Amino acid sequence: MPPFKDEQIIIIAPGSETTVAQLGLPESFTPAKTRVRSRMFPAEKEGEWEPYKVRRKQSAEKPTGDQNGAADGEESKNVSSEQEEIIYEEDRISEEGAVWPIREGRIVNWSCFFALITHVYNTMNPPFHTPILLITQPAWTPREHEKLTQFFFEKFKTPAFSLMDSALATSWAFGVHTATVVDVGKDKVDITAISEFVPHVQGRVISLPGCGGEALTQGLLSLLKAKGFNRDMLPNSKKQKATFIYEDHALLDNLKNMNLGEKGLAEAHAALDEGPSKKAQDGTEEEVREGGEGSGAPGAKSGGIRREIEVGVERFQAASNGTLEKIADAVHRCVSSVDEVNKRSELWDSLIVCGNGSRLRGFKDALQATLQAKYVISPSSATIFTSEIPSNISTPAGTGANTPQPQSAPHGGSSQVNPLLLAATTAQNPHLMHPGANPILQGMNSHNQHSSHGQTPTSIKLVKPPEYFPEWKEPGYDEAAFLGAQVAAKVIFVVDQGQNKGYMTRPDYNDQGPTAIHDYSL
Amino acid sequence: MASTNAPAAEYAGDEVSAIVLDPGFSTIRAGFAGEDVPKSVCPSFFGYTDAESDSKSQFLFGENAIHTPQANLQIKNYWGSDGIVEDWDAATKVWEYAITSRLTSTKPSNPLQNGLNEGSNGNGDTMDVDIENVEQAEKPLEDSPLLMTEPGWNSSKAREKCIEIAMEEWGAPAFYLQKTGVLAAFASGKASGIIIDIGASHTSVTPVLDGMVLRKGVQKSPLAGNFVSNQIRMLFKQSQPEIPLTPHYTVKSKVQVDAGAPSQATYKTFDLPPTDSFRRLEEERVLTEFKESVVEVWPGPQRFNMGPSEEIAKNQPGRPFEMPDGWNQVFTADRFRVAEGLFDASAALVDSDNPRPKDEHTISRLVQAAVQQVDADHRPMLLGNVVVTGGSSLLYKLNERLTQEINTIYPSTRNKLIAPGSVVERKYAAWIGGSILASLGSFHQLWISKKEYEEHGASIVEKRCR
Ligand SMILES: Nc1ncnc2c1ncn2[C@@H]1O[C@H](COP(=O)(O)OP(=O)(O)OP(=O)(O)O)[C@@H](O)[C@H]1O
Ligand SMILES: [Mg+2]
Repeated sequence: MPPFKDEQIIIIAPGSETTVAQLGLPESFTPAKTRVRSRMFPAEKEGEWEPYKVRRKQSAEKPTGDQNGAADGEESKNVSSEQEEIIYEEDRISEEGAVWPIREGRIVNWSCFFALITHVYNTMNPPFHTPILLITQPAWTPREHEKLTQFFFEKFKTPAFSLMDSALATSWAFGVHTATVVDVGKDKVDITAISEFVPHVQGRVISLPGCGGEALTQGLLSLLKAKGFNRDMLPNSKKQKATFIYEDHALLDNLKNMNLGEKGLAEAHAALDEGPSKKAQDGTEEEVREGGEGSGAPGAKSGGIRREIEVGVERFQAASNGTLEKIADAVHRCVSSVDEVNKRSELWDSLIVCGNGSRLRGFKDALQATLQAKYVISPSSATIFTSEIPSNISTPAGTGANTPQPQSAPHGGSSQVNPLLLAATTAQNPHLMHPGANPILQGMNSHNQHSSHGQTPTSIKLVKPPEYFPEWKEPGYDEAAFLGAQVAAKVIFVVDQGQNKGYMTRPDYNDQGPTAIHDYSL
Repeated sequence: MASTNAPAAEYAGDEVSAIVLDPGFSTIRAGFAGEDVPKSVCPSFFGYTDAESDSKSQFLFGENAIHTPQANLQIKNYWGSDGIVEDWDAATKVWEYAITSRLTSTKPSNPLQNGLNEGSNGNGDTMDVDIENVEQAEKPLEDSPLLMTEPGWNSSKAREKCIEIAMEEWGAPAFYLQKTGVLAAFASGKASGIIIDIGASHTSVTPVLDGMVLRKGVQKSPLAGNFVSNQIRMLFKQSQPEIPLTPHYTVKSKVQVDAGAPSQATYKTFDLPPTDSFRRLEEERVLTEFKESVVEVWPGPQRFNMGPSEEIAKNQPGRPFEMPDGWNQVFTADRFRVAEGLFDASAALVDSDNPRPKDEHTISRLVQAAVQQVDADHRPMLLGNVVVTGGSSLLYKLNERLTQEINTIYPSTRNKLIAPGSVVERKYAAWIGGSILASLGSFHQLWISKKEYEEHGASIVEKRCR
């Protein structure tokens, strides 16, 4: 097989709300170029799906009442035979009747899901011979991975395929081998502890329901609504200020028509670091929202515009309605379930909060503040008093002649350090990672020991975002999994070219079948 | 996942790895044979909400569901106090959850809309495979053989129940049952040895000879992790002043206070406080942390209550512990005391709910009783292969003490403890042994096929799984 080139590689990352994808790895990695709302519409024929809402156009009649204002978003196309003159129209804006195949990260409608993937694939219009890297949600089970593998090989005849866990991909993007990844999605949160590039699957918090961006937004909106949103709400102290941003798909058109003017936009811009799309001043917020909630404008429900409100950290905590605490408790559960107690400290010091649900500005700070307030073990008089205790020094636990040796697994499997990752982070490929992020070798010996340890956490820190990827600065690293996927795709498909079984080839698939995917993926 | 109509050039095999299920009192371990760790580790505790006037009663499974305070949420466990499953209904559901939520799929997909049968709109061509046919989609284990573990003292009735669940409810094509002791030995690469498993509800000692359990030698006792948890509870209660055991969910925010000073935390208020069983589960999280970071087994050479031990212990640097509400203290001699009962019944803390343990229940006495049942010829060999597993064997310095105790009882044999250095191997030893067994080419000679089950009924398990 000829080697793969950067421009041939496809990456697809399905999400409950948005599926992002890209054909080709650019020289400098960029955020995903293809973005598709993760929903399809039932086609006329049962079991088939269309990417846009399609209606049979009743030519003689006026458009239905509730479609006002959506007309300019409609495209008509003639898909029927000439004689009958039945006109179907695609409504590219309406999401009425849409089916969302991924709910809380789980694939709940496979037919629709496969149709969505096919749509995304076709949108990119790929040439022949494109290897595919699929970013998997933590909620997908190994058997589901096999099902996906079968689909990609048999539907797209892909020459090479690999799966990468989204949390792992995020850690690749940040260039760290150990991290606690908190991925805040639409309706759920996933929390994964990763040590030396291996996710701890046992205590992983998968799809914690009711904790996503949706819940946070609702909490804040109802708070704002109850209080009557106005400028007095903003805390005086600048330090306390946190900004709340949410995407308002409903009001894109209204806003366009509002004509905020140069000045308004510029002012809003000044208050922002994140959020590349159009912004409006918070003063307009209420009015804007009211319009959006009426059922009168279902046609306006796509597009999306980033809205911004500023609230204090405390208010944020109150508004989250227990959501922050629920997430914080789950982080604690996740780290505490890492069997190797000596790894927990480092996991607490390497928190990554990602996912578009965490875009609400101030959220990351508020989560960190909540975690610190509840879980950090204070350096109390007791701790100081006994500070001579080496709480982070491992003591071998075995006794007698058989001092335990770190052993590799008896029979293969997945919990070993992937040589690819080592390669990616060591001198062999220095261009792939930002410098200074190579402490992997130090940490590796501690892998298999158990010992007595002090309580954790004694500190909680967020990992600094990578500075190596200029195109990611502006939009932020909430979709860092996609960045990590690009790094990984480069490593497995281009640099390594299969030497370390970083992907499954079509002949591999034909020989071994979909269950073998676990021996290949990252 | 057999592809029935796949073109000849494409993969058409039906090699499906077995699923290994290792249910314990605290967690259920499940995963695919051939892998080195169980991918699914789920709590054996489950939530139950009582039927209120308008709603139905409901079962809740998995970590996410059982740790959220909720007024009417009760926490239960399906195990009986004798180490045999008591609530079979719940057990079936929890086990199924452990398998489907993280291994197979949460909802058996409806073949009418699983998408693999239809072409999709995109480029119009239809899929050339028919991956699942209708019958296949319904039961959770339709295509996976199942290896299940059981404690050495399981009843025949319970064993038959296991095969019934696997065959009838889950539709497994093949089933095998093996004792945790044998599997743990297997994981250490031993066909013979004495397996000491210190879990949550029970400690067991199992003599295994050439891959067979010596049934009359199997010993069990309730002196295990839960016992140590209760010792810690009593230590807290009996302290002056009493040490309040506050789980995380009761605390809103904590304030740093001096060692031993009362907490100044702000506590949460609940309109309807969560149930006692919920509180107990959450307290257990704190106790586990205490075990991990404070408790230490007195390593000997003398018992803790004898000679200068306690004096020595007092002069060692203590270990600090902070409660979720900020209360903190340094623990010195007490951190040894709470584990001492495992080896010395007379040293155990007692109160009206927790009577003095029986002497014959200490780990040392269990080993002695087990070895007693073994042919004298075999004893030296077994004592040279003492395998230590179970979550509570991770108690700091436990192995030192165990070595000490065994050497005191058997001064003239060459005793050797085999304790995997990796925490994972220690905690999941029985599962790992099962994973090895079920991935062997000869596994299909061991298992009971569906056909055999249909022919002979559930009682076949007594004949075939020894
Ligand atoms: N690091 C540790 N130090 C001390 N005790 C621990 C540690 N980690 C876990 N435990 C204890 O181990 C117990 C769980 O062990 P394990 O998983 O072997 O039990 P199980 O198989 O579920 O229960 P059983 O064998 O009784 O059915 C719990 O009591 C827990 O508190
Ligand atoms: Mg056990």
